[in-house]
Amino acid sequence: MEEAKERTGTGKKRVMVAIEEHECSHYALEWTLLNLKPTISSPLFLITVQPFSPFTYVAAASYSSPPQELIQSMQEHQKQAALALLEKAKEICAKHGVDVETITEMGEPKEVICQVAEQQNVELLVMGSHARGAVERFFLGSVSNYCVHHAKCPVLVVKQDSGKKN
Amino acid sequence: MEEVTATVVMEGAVVGPEGAEATTAEKKGFKVVVAVDDSENSHYALSWAIDYILANRREDCQLVVLHVQHFVETTFMYPVAGHAVYAPTLSMDAVRKAHEENSKRVISRAVDICKSKHVDALTAVADGDPKDAICEAAEKLHADLLVVGSRGLGMIKRAFLGSVSDYLAHHAKCPVLIVKPPKGSHK
Repeated sequence: MEEAKERTGTGKKRVMVAIEEHECSHYALEWTLLNLKPTISSPLFLITVQPFSPFTYVAAASYSSPPQELIQSMQEHQKQAALALLEKAKEICAKHGVDVETITEMGEPKEVICQVAEQQNVELLVMGSHARGAVERFFLGSVSNYCVHHAKCPVLVVKQDSGKKN
Repeated sequence: MEEVTATVVMEGAVVGPEGAEATTAEKKGFKVVVAVDDSENSHYALSWAIDYILANRREDCQLVVLHVQHFVETTFMYPVAGHAVYAPTLSMDAVRKAHEENSKRVISRAVDICKSKHVDALTAVADGDPKDAICEAAEKLHADLLVVGSRGLGMIKRAFLGSVSDYLAHHAKCPVLIVKPPKGSHK
């Protein structure tokens, strides 16, 4: 028989949703709020992680180290995009009447998400994922794939069917 | 390569209504399919699902416990001291019977868990390769959520995630919840 030591007593869990730079995380968030709202203890955590040094392809494309301004403007742009995604996520939560706590970190997304999940004693980690074919799955879904393997807590992967209902 | 046939046998009531069109507030019922095998992990996953998902939405939640039977090949070769020996039919039947007994045991243990938590569950049994069978069954059952343990019978200490759970996370059409073993007990 399982010990009841993990039960919060109210059947609720600390839930964290990873917000990435793809629509699928908003879909995952909506799905969770629609279907698992009673399970979520307040507040719901939203995490977004900005990569440190993402622009290796820029260096490759320019055959040398790219101009500093380009890097900076790309980083700024990326930061704005991340904040916008987080804002939209907060709106979605507000629409469902759910309290939210946002966490923004920098680093390697997949590692940071798992680390923060552990630090915050997250009991359920929710991730979006792409479902557009085997090859894309390998490249684009690397964060959700990593988290599914390495997170210590239960992980929920919500796929966004591209136009297809099951 | 043999054909993987996932035939889903449902016991109990009729399969619930279609689809997961949760666009409006009108919910058609939330179907949770939990795939169980003989491992502690999958039974923990079942408990988790009941305690934290079903408990909160008893009214419209339907639980289905799914077990995939081992696929028993019709020709089976035992390599014995370098010679391949075809297993006699008698032992084949014994193996098949043992697998069926095992399935029954797994299912009844799962049902016991459900009963002890006062949850009505439907049971389903599928045949074939677990990865594909669970995927197909989840589709056929129109699962809104598929719940699995993270590591099943082939528990390699260093692997955090079993191959079946990994496959399902990638390939199942519906959302997949992978329940890891509780902290402090890495069985």
